[in-house]
Amino acid sequence: MSATAIVTMIIILSLVWGGFVVMLRLAIKKEAAKAFNREQNPGA
Amino acid sequence: MRQTELFSTRWALILAALGMAVGTGNIWRFPRIVAQNGGGSFLIPWLIFLFLWSIPLLIIEFAIGKETRYGTVGAFGKFLGRKYTWMGAFVGFCTMAIMFYYSVVMGWCVKYFLAALFGDGGLGQPQTYWDGFTSSYEPVLFHLIAIAAGSFVIYKGVAGGIERANRILIPSLFVLLVAAAVRALTLPGALTGLEFLFRPELDKLFHYKTWLEALSQSAWSTGAGWGLILTYAVYMKKREDIVLNSFIAGLGNNSASLLAGIVILPTIFAVLPYQEAMQAVDSGNTGLTFIWIPALFQKMPLGGFFMMVFFLALTFAAVSSLLAMIELATRIFMDAGLQRSQAIVFVGITAFVLGLPSALSLDFFNNQDWAWGLGLIVSGMFFAFAVIRYGPERARTRLINAEGNDLNVGTWFNVVVTYLIPLEFVVLLIWWFWQAIAAYDPEGWWNPFRTYSMGTCVFQWGLALLIFGLLNNWLYRKTVTED
Repeated sequence: MSATAIVTMIIILSLVWGGFVVMLRLAIKKEAAKAFNREQNPGA
Repeated sequence: MRQTELFSTRWALILAALGMAVGTGNIWRFPRIVAQNGGGSFLIPWLIFLFLWSIPLLIIEFAIGKETRYGTVGAFGKFLGRKYTWMGAFVGFCTMAIMFYYSVVMGWCVKYFLAALFGDGGLGQPQTYWDGFTSSYEPVLFHLIAIAAGSFVIYKGVAGGIERANRILIPSLFVLLVAAAVRALTLPGALTGLEFLFRPELDKLFHYKTWLEALSQSAWSTGAGWGLILTYAVYMKKREDIVLNSFIAGLGNNSASLLAGIVILPTIFAVLPYQEAMQAVDSGNTGLTFIWIPALFQKMPLGGFFMMVFFLALTFAAVSSLLAMIELATRIFMDAGLQRSQAIVFVGITAFVLGLPSALSLDFFNNQDWAWGLGLIVSGMFFAFAVIRYGPERARTRLINAEGNDLNVGTWFNVVVTYLIPLEFVVLLIWWFWQAIAAYDPEGWWNPFRTYSMGTCVFQWGLALLIFGLLNNWLYRKTVTED
């Protein structure tokens, strides 16, 4: 594989797959925080 | 409360959104289009348009569905006012028209999966096999199986049907694609295909056609502007996030597309000489999938097994999208007062009957794919229009960046919706109509009865718009409850 193809592959996969994973992790973190808040303030 | 069904968790909603977005287009169209348009040169605009078309429209759909709690017809009526109900009817009908033939596509996938599973010797002659299959009555039987299976899942409701099905389908789909990608990348010569997928060609990067193809792929692939996410958003919890979920759906869809590209292109270039490989990627969706793919898998070690994996993945992608389409139609009739069980019987029978011409004639199938696939761009514009009329800033601050949101959308959203999406809509429509006039059918471009003419789009859309325009007030009264 040529160097330009490898560089493009790394950039595209980082942005798309990396972006997907980062967004999923953020959602997991936010859901955990919401669950924690619900436990702390059951009436809210 | 008018409807009581809700997604049980955020993850159920995300899986359903991914199921809606990832369809056959990711597997059978994306690798072909990327190969034809300069590999890496195509991927750059394709990624840009994810943020300039698909994700903003997903955000709009989530917001309108969550706010109105109606399917497409009632949502436009309630959100914009009575006189715009026809827009929602057009959006809903456009996706239903796609559902009629998409069920046929799912039937083809099931047929080929079974053929691969049971080692049908006929696949050794793929062209003859495909011609024999499509000229028989078998596609009708598989179309019936597809629509019956989809209708059964939707009959079970949101938690019992859509959630449970997607909990199995989406993780399995990704596992199957990863398994097929590992096989593809371990074939001798696979790197040629990977090079073809990612190597940028500078002349193509600056060519307008690459950008238009990238925008078209982004518009069709994510399911943005179809009304499907709007329908799923009806079942969101009140304090549910919109923006982060839209990003997950959009990026997840593109991740699946790249995975499919890594499966298909290295396999093609590893097994076929260059000229034949180019012939394969130029052979159209059905040509690549149902003629070249079986031929390719015959030529590689463990090919029979991986052909089964491939067609199972394609079937899972098709069924998860078909479920969203059936739910869209069912929701519209439930809004009109039918019970879910009544609505699904009506939708299932109608979809089977109106899908029959596509099951029996590839010309009719291609015509519907052309006319209503392009109609989705009009649907997308209707969603942008809805927000422009409501006020982009008002929509952004009141509906989108609302309570429960995990990620707020910035003012870039206003610019994209007000200026860029309308511009993209105009350019895309002119481009595809110009293709019809100059390339597809120069002599009969005006003729409404030709497969790929501009006339057939104008005629079919015009007829739908005329009918929905005349029925506008009746549709509003039947659907929207004044409260």
